[in-house]
Formats: sequence, C-alpha cells, structure tokens
Amino acid sequence: MISSEIRDQLRAILGKDRLLEKPEELACYSYDAYFEESMPELVLLPVSTEEVSRIMKISSTHGIPVTARGAGTSVCGASIPAKHGIVLCFSKMNKIMETNTPDRYVIVQPGVVNADLQKALEPFNFFYPPDPGSMAISTIGGNVAQNAGGPRCLKYGVTADYILGMEVVLSSGKTIRFGSRNVKDVTGYRLSGLFCGSEGTLGIITEIILRVVPMPETIKTILVTFDNLDNTARSVSDIIGSGILPAALELLDKMTTNAIEDSAHLGLPIEAEGSLLIEIDGVKEACEKEMNAIIEKVRANGATSIQEAKSESERENLWLARRSAYGVFAKLAPDIFSEDITVPASKTPLMIKTIVDITQRYGLKVGVLAHAGDGNMHPMIPADKNNKEEWARIEKAFDEIVEAAAQMNGTLSGEHGIGLAKTKFLPLVMNEDSIEFMSVIKKAVDPDGILNPGKFV
Amino acid sequence: MKSTSNQNCGKCGLCLSVCPVYKVLNQEHDSPRARLQLIKYHKNQELLSSAGLKEIISKCLMCGNCTAICPSGVDHYSQFMEMRTKMREDIGEKQAIKSLTYLLAKEYRLKLATGFAKFGQKIIPENFIKKYNLGNIPLKRFPRLNKKPFRQAVPETILPDKNIKGIVLYFTGCSTNYAFDQTGFSTVKILKQMGYKVIIPEKQTCCGIPMLYHGARDKAKKNILTNIDCLGKIEGLNNDDVKAIIVDCPTCGTALKNEYPGLLKTFGQDDSAAREISSKVIDIMSFVLQESWQMELSGSSEPIESDKIKVTYHLPCHLKNSMKAPHNTEKVLNSIDWIEYTRAVDVDECCGGGGTFFYEYPEISKKIVDKKIVNAKNTGAHIWLTDCPVCRINLSGNLQEKDNIIVKHPVEVICNYQPENNNGSDKV
Repeated sequence: MISSEIRDQLRAILGKDRLLEKPEELACYSYDAYFEESMPELVLLPVSTEEVSRIMKISSTHGIPVTARGAGTSVCGASIPAKHGIVLCFSKMNKIMETNTPDRYVIVQPGVVNADLQKALEPFNFFYPPDPGSMAISTIGGNVAQNAGGPRCLKYGVTADYILGMEVVLSSGKTIRFGSRNVKDVTGYRLSGLFCGSEGTLGIITEIILRVVPMPETIKTILVTFDNLDNTARSVSDIIGSGILPAALELLDKMTTNAIEDSAHLGLPIEAEGSLLIEIDGVKEACEKEMNAIIEKVRANGATSIQEAKSESERENLWLARRSAYGVFAKLAPDIFSEDITVPASKTPLMIKTIVDITQRYGLKVGVLAHAGDGNMHPMIPADKNNKEEWARIEKAFDEIVEAAAQMNGTLSGEHGIGLAKTKFLPLVMNEDSIEFMSVIKKAVDPDGILNPGKFV
Repeated sequence: MKSTSNQNCGKCGLCLSVCPVYKVLNQEHDSPRARLQLIKYHKNQELLSSAGLKEIISKCLMCGNCTAICPSGVDHYSQFMEMRTKMREDIGEKQAIKSLTYLLAKEYRLKLATGFAKFGQKIIPENFIKKYNLGNIPLKRFPRLNKKPFRQAVPETILPDKNIKGIVLYFTGCSTNYAFDQTGFSTVKILKQMGYKVIIPEKQTCCGIPMLYHGARDKAKKNILTNIDCLGKIEGLNNDDVKAIIVDCPTCGTALKNEYPGLLKTFGQDDSAAREISSKVIDIMSFVLQESWQMELSGSSEPIESDKIKVTYHLPCHLKNSMKAPHNTEKVLNSIDWIEYTRAVDVDECCGGGGTFFYEYPEISKKIVDKKIVNAKNTGAHIWLTDCPVCRINLSGNLQEKDNIIVKHPVEVICNYQPENNNGSDKV
C-alpha cells in the first residue's frame, strides 16, 4: 500500500492532474495489448527527467514497484504492473528535442510516437527505420525498452542498431548518460545494448539519441501468390540465400489473407495458399535489377501471380493489409494467442511446416504470418481463454513450437519481448549460468527489485 | 493477477492514434480503448458508476474515428452511447445539458426558446454579449437565429421549374430550421434546378442525436418515432416514388441512416420502415455528385483566374465515419471551374466541436480547433466550407475578427454562382 504521505510527496512533484488514483483512472493502466491485466495503485505522468528522478528516489526509499509504460501496445505484457505499485506513463513526455539530419541523428523524449517521428523526418527526406506493427501509436521509449523490430528491419536492423546514446534514471533516482551523437563511439561499455530490450527492469529511459537515415530514392513493392505454402516459404529462403536483401519480405498464409480481406476489403487474393509481400528500396537501377532477380526466384517456385503496386496508395493498401493482421485476428475470437519465435532464414520453410503440423495435431486453427525474410514467425491462434480445454491445447502446441524453434537454432522472441509471456521458456535458449548472469546485473542495478518486478528477471 | 477475455477489443491501441481527444491530452484514460475497458469493468461490476467514470465516458467527441479504424470491428460508437445512457441514469446530468435535451425533445419548446433567444439577442446589453462566452465561443459569434423557422418560410411541397424528374424528401434538421436558413434555401434551390419535387414533411422534428449522446434515450424515442412516421409514408405516395431522403447535416444523416434501425429494435418495435428510410438517406453534396448537377453551372468560357472563389473545406467526422462519404464534397468542389479549392493539410481531422463537447470541455476543444484554423488560413481561402452545423458554429465561433475567412455550408457557395457578385444570396 502506498501511504497518503508518499502520495502527498508525489503530488508535490507532479501536481494533482498528473497523479491518478481514482479506480476508474487506475483501471486504464492495468492492461496493454497482452491478455492479462493487473491494477496499479498509482499512475504518474511525468514530463521531465527531473520529475522521474525525484519519483524514483521516493519509490526506492519505500520499495514501491515502478512499471514504465509508453502507449501500452506490448504484446507480451511488458507494461502491465504485475506487482502493482506505480505505473510511470510517458505519453506526455513526448518532445522531439533536436532534429539534426546533417549529422544524422535525432534526440527524443521517450513518449514520442514512432509515427510522429517519421512525420517529423519526412520534410528532411530522412526516416527512422524500425517500424513495429504498432508504430502508429507506440512510443520510442517503449520501442527501445522492447528492442522493437518490424518488417523493414530485415534490411535496416532493429531498434538496438539505431541507438547512439541514452539518458536513464536508475532505481536510486540517479541519472546516467552514455553514448553520444556519434555513430562511432567505443567509449566504455556499450550500455545502450544493455538497456535496449531490458523491458524496464534495469532503469527508466528518459531521453534517446537515435540514428536516422536518408530515404531511399526508389521503393518497389510486389505481392506474389502461391498455391502452396511450402513453395511460398521456399521462395523466401531462396531469395535471402541468393544474396538479395529486400527491405521487407512478409509471408501471409490463406487464413490470414482471408481474415484481413473479410475485415478490410482491400482486394487481396483470397484463393492463394500463401502470399509474399516483398519490398525493395534503393537506387532505381539497382531496384530494377534486384526485382528481376526476385521475380525469377518466385517464378521458379511456382508463383501463381505477381502484382506490383503502381502507386503510393496501392503500396499503402498492401501495407495496411499486413499491418491490420493482429487486430483482424482479434475479431475472430475473444483472445489471440500470438507467437514471435524466430529462426535462421534458411529454416523458414521447415519452421512453417512444423507450425502447421503441430497446430493441426492439436486441432487448432492457425494463421501463419511472418517477417519471413529474417525468420521471424507470427503464428496467431484466435481463441477464447475461458474455454479451458481449448486453451490447454493451445499452450501445449505453443510449447512444442517454441521447443522446435530452439532446436533449429532459433530464439524465443524476435521482437515482442519476454514480458509475462515467455519467462518459462528461457532455459530452452540460455543455460543456467547465462540466466544467472542476467540476475547479477539486475541485482547490481536494481538491488531492491522495484523496476518492473514480476517479469523475466 | 487476473486474466480476462477482452470481448472483441484486441487492445492493440490503434484507436489512440486517431482519437482527437487523446492527441491533445496524451493520456490513456482519455482514449477509446480505455473507455471500452471501463465499460467492460462496469458491466462485470468490477467498477461502479461514479462522477469520475461519467466524466471519462463523456469526454469524447463521438467522432467515430476509433470505430472506423478498429481492425477488430468493435462498435465503440454504440457501446459509448449505451454507456452514456447508464451514466445519465446513475449519476444525472448538468443543468445546461438537461435543458438542451428538454428543448430538443419537443419542437414547440424549441420554438418558444428561440423566440426568447431572439428576444434576448436584442435586449441583452451589448457589453454583456461582448464579454460572455459559451465554451470558447463568444456569444456574438454564435449564429443569429432565422427570422422565421426555415420550415415555416417554405411550403411543404416545392415544385421544380421544369419537368419533374422525381421526388425527394428533405430532412432539414434543427440547425437549418432555426439558425442557418441559407443552407435550407440553397439546398432547395439545387434540388429544384435538378428537377426534383421537394417535400419537406411538416411533422419532422429533431433527429434525437443530441439526446442520445447525452444518454437521454427515453426523451429521444418520441422524436425518432415521429420522424420515422413522417418520412416513412407520405400521403398519396408509394415508397418507390421517393428517390432519396436528403439531409444537409451529416449528424442528422447518421441518426436516420445508422442509428434508427438499431434503436427501433431496442425499443422492441418493427424496424422495417426505419430500414427503408435508412437506405434512402443521402447528404446533399453526395446527391449533387451522384446527379452530376454541377455540370450545368460551368460556363461556356474559361473563368478568369481572379474571378474564382477561393475555398477550403473541413470534412465533418460524421460525414467521414458514419455517412461514409469522405470524398464527395471535395469531388464536387474540384469539379466546378469557378471554384478554386485548396485542401487544408488536416482537412479530415476533427474540429473539436462534437455536439456540446466544445461547451463541456472548452480547453480541449480550443487546442483542436486552433490547429484547424491555422491550417485553413494557410490555404489562402476566403471561404471555409463544412457540411455540419456544429462544426460550422465551432469553426466560425473560434475565428477572430481579423481572420479574413468565413464559414459556410458548401451548398451556399455552389448554388450561388454569380460572377459579378460571388457572395450574393437569393431565396427560393
């Protein structure tokens, strides 16, 4: 319980409007896009590093759990306050502090929405490559804490590859800064790699220096269909294996395409067993050459149709289809069980086949969706968590899928994170000493365990 | 820790990205996703009715952006309306809002009140009018009331000048009837020129949306039944004789087109007449587009650049999300050669009016509308068109005296082509 004295101290920092304690307000911070919920005791909406530092001093003095939250779009429950306490919501700390395209960096507060950053960079003809499915609303702070990915990370790399520097408030309330405005910087440990992906368990990120890159001159996007899912997957490993590097290479199976089409009416090929959304970007001549090579590969694998986006709006339409997949599955049943296992690209065909086999064996409907080019799978099962028997089958099936991925030298999560969802699977990909090493770091940095407790470490 | 089924909301958060209120306040508890969650908790009795809960549910423009973008097909709109009814029952309503729903529920009361209001506009001391604001809007920037309610100023049946091409019904809405009669005269003029016999059923009354938004479903019911009755069957006419039911207000259109059939079901009544009406409802600008009427307007010679009327446009949320006619008015404007239409960068973003939202939450509304005004002025237009009377009051009311731009309904411009006198108005 947080005492009224502590509440008064916090109120003195934030004012009454940015401290929430009524039940109807607290309830709005008990969830994210994962399917569990847990009520916070207090929600604070800071607007400056100094406020965060003062809040953390009070929290650590009294051992109050603190869970950071951006837009609450985590699909692994990373921003759910599992042990209650304080939710520190960064949606109001959302300024772009500096845009410097000649030196190719921006400095942002954690609450800046990914899409707003993209919009701000557009006039300079620059962009920030990581593009998680939630980018329309998810925050850079959340993207960094989860090391978010996205379709075009195949070519451009993930969030961690774009962090030049950071400001972090530690659980003690001390503020540390590391990294710089320079792409090359080997001054001390590369601490951004530690905090990026730490899911709010090591510190509270209050400012980020991000690398940004110029927009490509040309973008070409095609939708290819197949009458067989194996051929679809084999095209992926053929393209990647041949040395072509598309900006994005997305795979959708029949169930996914149909679910999206039912909802959005975009004119998708509903008869196709498998579809690939392929995008390449760069200099025009190079794009043409690469596109020809890709078309050759998909034809060799029996592509039944190839449709090129002829305008920006057609391209938008194709991506809209892809991006709406998660929400569309939510329409099919009360809950969605979604996965994020990732395997080396050459294993994509085998992994997809394995997913289909396992789910069939358990009598489950599955939609297979994947950032296939980097082996990042998103099989989704529409389900009802209240149906205990079905839910048990789903959990078993997913246990097997995760184990299969681990055996293929894959990993538990490509971009969603561990959060509440996957702690139990850690031993599949990390030995005991490695897991213990994470605990050593956690204890050193957050000795009282107040930062996002109840999560993977 | 508990886990809960989330009905059909996947909690993906996409709705936050299009919610005008969230964009201003940047706090989850003022987002569509949060309202859905709260409605769920309230239903499960995990959360009780309170003034705070009512506030969160009310702090919404009912623009429908969330419903339009939701990939899971959640009908936020209906859930919010239902919850507003519950909140009104459990918590009650502010006096000002109560008076409004009371007035709108009975046309004669409204007539009486406008009588007083008009009287008021004359006897209230000038310095009081200068100082006093309703929300952000100074009283002096509210529309002057019509000299005579529009529906009394025109006959119930109006014949075209030439051969009768067909028959349309015209649902005028309260705003045209009491404040913006020029919209009504222009609409009738256009319909007549198209060759339609226009019937303006005398018994029609407030569509009921203002009451519904404030949770007064019981008060709205009588209006709804009256409207269905007078639009559903016209003496001496078969249903097939009526080509369309024209609205000049997208919110009235939303009521007739989207809300009535479902509401009749909740009243436990036959919804066939409501569905028939729903299928015929169309906003006047979409009708203009459908009939390609503007062709008759274009002169034979190329208009001189300096003669062109410079306009910009604000797309009302209900036209975009509920009537699902987001591009029609712009298409018409672009097709008329004596109109120079410049698109504002945020043409399709909510203006922050939202029925009585501008009055209940002036600070939020102000932030939304001021951005719209800057972008509209940046187009260089002198006339700012919008189909919705509440948007019109809100946009116009928040303009400053020095702003060289006036707000009008699109019909008022397109029906008025007079090269020597662009702003001239004439009546039917």
